[in-house]
Amino acid sequence: MTRADFMARLRSGLAGLPAATIEDIAADYETHFADAQAAGRSEQEVADALGAPGRLARELRAEAGLKKWEEQKNPSAAAAAIFAVLGLGAIDIIVLLPILMGVLGAMFGFFVAVIAVFFAGGVVFAAGPFADPPGGPVTAILGGLGMMAIATSIGALLTLATIGLVNALVWYARLHYRLLKPAIDPQG
Amino acid sequence: MEIVTETIEIQLKKGVLALCVLALLSRADSYAYEIASRLAKDIDMGEGTIYPLMRRLQADGLVETYLVESQSGPPRKYYRLTDAGRGSFTQQKTEWAAFTRAVNDILGAGA
Repeated sequence: MTRADFMARLRSGLAGLPAATIEDIAADYETHFADAQAAGRSEQEVADALGAPGRLARELRAEAGLKKWEEQKNPSAAAAAIFAVLGLGAIDIIVLLPILMGVLGAMFGFFVAVIAVFFAGGVVFAAGPFADPPGGPVTAILGGLGMMAIATSIGALLTLATIGLVNALVWYARLHYRLLKPAIDPQG
Repeated sequence: MEIVTETIEIQLKKGVLALCVLALLSRADSYAYEIASRLAKDIDMGEGTIYPLMRRLQADGLVETYLVESQSGPPRKYYRLTDAGRGSFTQQKTEWAAFTRAVNDILGAGA
């Protein structure tokens, strides 16, 4: 593989990251080639020693995705982290995928249910007193408030659980891709 | 059996890579090519691996970079340890020493 081949594959593997980050990474590898050339090594030899550009790009992308999640805990960062983990393509993560999807689906269902209970509570609170409920208007108002409070607290717990889940996934991914073979293999 | 041995070797190398980089930088500031060729020679790792690792160390605040003018070509990017990096190195070095001592004791007892 020539220097130009290596750089082209690396860049195409990094597509999607911010342009400044790609330039920064590309500059590192260009410098590496230049330094190696100054030391009298051939492009071919250096490209081989660097390892597969596609794999290096995946590791760099994964790191960027996980970093984003550590800095900002929001749904888009969570999605970036999850896709970064999937992008690593470790077999055990693919095995894990159905379970993960099940858990994420269940959590989504809970969120919808919590929101529904919250709105139902609001309706009971606002409309209940006029509908001549059993136990009188005060019961309806307190009952409505109670439903909203329960929905809010369960929603908060769910949010904590979701953050915990993504954190666990990130930890798992870090642990694994440090142990994945090809990047350390000199012939990559 | 061969596969198992190979895996252990790779895992050990990858695990200590960050520690080795911190150790090199604790002695003197350096640039990526120098670090990579040193580690490639001594512990036989892929040279390309150094760049994801340096980015992670930098993102974690353990190392920082500065530019030095060079006679030939563009300015060179040097890495140095931050205070946090120095602290992390000291701690990891202690852990490593304790770990290898324990493993050596066990290996010695088994021989």
